[in-house]
Amino acid sequence: MRLLLIVTTAICCFGQAFLDPAKLLQAPTDSWPTYNGDYSGRRFSPLKKINQSNVDALTLAWVRRTVVAGRQAGGGNNAAVIKGTPIVINGVMYYTIPDHAWAIDARTGREIWHYEWPSKGGWHIGNRGAAAWRDTLYFETPDCNLVALDMGNGKERWHTSICDLEQFYYASVAPIVIREHVITGVSGDDLDIPGYIESHNARTGNLEWRWYAHPEPGTPEAKTWPSVEAMMHGGGMTWVPSTYDPGLNLMYFGTGNPQPVIAGQGRAGSNLYTESIIALNPDSGKLAWYFQPSPHDTHDWDAVQTPVLFDGEVGGKPRKLLAQASRNGWFFVLDRATGEHILTSEFVKTNWTLGVDAKGQPRLNPAKQPKPDGALVSPNQGGAINWPPPSYSPDTGLFYANAARAWSVYYLYDEDDKPEGWGGNDRSGYSEAMVQAIDAKTGKIRWSHKWPGNGGGARSGLLSTAGGLLFAGDTNSNVVALDPANGNPLWHAGLHTPLTNGPITYELDGTQYVVVGAGDTLYAFAIR
Amino acid sequence: MRRLRLAIAATVLFGPILLGQAGPYERQKVDAAAAKRGSAVYTQYCINCHGAAARGTETAPDLIRSPLILRDRLGSELGPALKRLAGHNAALTPDQVTDLTHFLKQQLEATARNRNPAVPPNVLTGDAQMGRAYFEGAGGCAKCHSATGDLAGVGRRYEPMDLQQRFLFPRSMKPVRATVTAASGPAVTGEVVKIDDFDISLTDGSGQYHAWTRGANLRVEIDDPLRQHHEMLERYTDQDIHNVVRYLETLK
Repeated sequence: MRLLLIVTTAICCFGQAFLDPAKLLQAPTDSWPTYNGDYSGRRFSPLKKINQSNVDALTLAWVRRTVVAGRQAGGGNNAAVIKGTPIVINGVMYYTIPDHAWAIDARTGREIWHYEWPSKGGWHIGNRGAAAWRDTLYFETPDCNLVALDMGNGKERWHTSICDLEQFYYASVAPIVIREHVITGVSGDDLDIPGYIESHNARTGNLEWRWYAHPEPGTPEAKTWPSVEAMMHGGGMTWVPSTYDPGLNLMYFGTGNPQPVIAGQGRAGSNLYTESIIALNPDSGKLAWYFQPSPHDTHDWDAVQTPVLFDGEVGGKPRKLLAQASRNGWFFVLDRATGEHILTSEFVKTNWTLGVDAKGQPRLNPAKQPKPDGALVSPNQGGAINWPPPSYSPDTGLFYANAARAWSVYYLYDEDDKPEGWGGNDRSGYSEAMVQAIDAKTGKIRWSHKWPGNGGGARSGLLSTAGGLLFAGDTNSNVVALDPANGNPLWHAGLHTPLTNGPITYELDGTQYVVVGAGDTLYAFAIR
Repeated sequence: MRRLRLAIAATVLFGPILLGQAGPYERQKVDAAAAKRGSAVYTQYCINCHGAAARGTETAPDLIRSPLILRDRLGSELGPALKRLAGHNAALTPDQVTDLTHFLKQQLEATARNRNPAVPPNVLTGDAQMGRAYFEGAGGCAKCHSATGDLAGVGRRYEPMDLQQRFLFPRSMKPVRATVTAASGPAVTGEVVKIDDFDISLTDGSGQYHAWTRGANLRVEIDDPLRQHHEMLERYTDQDIHNVVRYLETLK
């Protein structure tokens, strides 16, 4: 009887919180099991219960406000800001803010458990979300830890250090699980420290490999730096979760700005592997290929935006492709098996290049580097797009970006031969925000929907569905469904504050939900 | 793992290392008086090899990027290192070592915050005469503005960097206005309170609040007083900007 009870309990609780790894290889329907829903980064759902014919009836299903005590950045008065994408597994939603994780009922928003990490510090700028493997949940903390929780009850299983707080690193990225590898990125650009990405064993947390965002000394790529010392302090943080192609067994992510950030005179060269799209073998951490969207960046234009995977024809032949709408305002399509460049185009107008070189990389106009007396540059430091995730719809063949046409003046403050830290900054500016629909075959803008008003960029991610809907946040406080074919608004709901994360969708018991985060609140919508 | 070993070996030799445990939250709080004393110690004993800004020279490493200094608390790492490392002054008193750490931490904190300028940069690099010519001619500024009218004394009122920012990205004295015409009813003009794809609201001249749901039968005409300034961002050259700022600065 005792044995039976144990078995029954195990089935009950294991079943409730268990993530079938096969779910990670499928388009999401009754779950949203990883940051982007699946490994492709498309944020496209095959669900169509909510569609163009009935979206008018989409209405509020539940609201959950997050109230925590303690330090949080970006919200004012210690208010929580949900910047992470929740994951949904077996009817349970898991979401995070810095130092906190919750499990809630995905049907009702009711709390199941709450876990708080005892923080030692670090920058509480945001947390991008959690990852799951079988019955374990993983998230990063600002004080440089990867924490593993029992998904059934929120109890800690283990934690392990992933960076050094003393060197001004911190952690904010959503981990991604590839088989039994938990992939973690790191954050921080106050001081000149190297970026890297790590793999930890999903069962133990043990470090399996670490890949630095710089070449090894003596390699040809190392010649893109003036010295080994500059290279080893050259930045390249890994701010955004990876995508993954199981067939090729390659994971893809972008690297951030080189260091020093604005004052680049001490790091002549293109500064590999900063500002690069990187393909790695997730088992070994070995580099397969790289492509650099912003050689020798001096504008803080992290090239970390989600590399989105899709298949298409190029020159009449089927190709496995990867696309990134990069913070510098340029759109790139590559062959994801080889890294071969396919196309480059502007997805918003920029003023900082002298065109594109033979490799497909934008050529930096020296006149638009930061200057002591200022240089007027577009985009601004916030970028033509930032970390919020884009979407790609295989139904339309369009890549969607919540974008901005933004201006600011870049100043160089430190003219020393060996600047450190930032050594400059941009200031003020004007911006217009819009959703850009980019034809992934040609790079041309198929349609552009400008958000009314002259506000900053809309900092929400996007979600497209087979129901013919593209969900987005505008620059006011609306969650909006656009027609993905032409950008026409079809539905909206006014929230208390603008969206701060990427929308998700899932279907439970025949009801399709759409969930967004806005400030400290999760809003769930459904058709009843 | 080869890659990991290589990278770690390289970083031990050349720069930051990744240690197993995160450090305590509180960094060493800089005591300004101690940092000043530490500056004198640095000048006397350290500056020749580690450089004026402690960023290193060909003969000695960068102390701002040093993991040892980053990890140090009041000499906990630096004191033993000075005794251990060849060519260093092992005779510094504990107080001198503590003062030195305050100086180095002060430099480090300044580096970590140097996205803000220690002193405003000089943006007065243009030619005032050319700026005036642009203002009165190609720039079209004089169509709306006057050096003796609305801009009289502008060079006195703002620091040069603020003047540059306000010229490029003005904050309007006038609000965005709109005229809204419904299919039934008169046109209403007023200051826009809020506009999005779905609704528009404005306040008319009498202070009355009006709101509409937007649709095909509602005509909305926006009058943004800064529209021409926004459009000019496409046309300015950086030299135009520097010349105009130099000219505006002369309007005392």
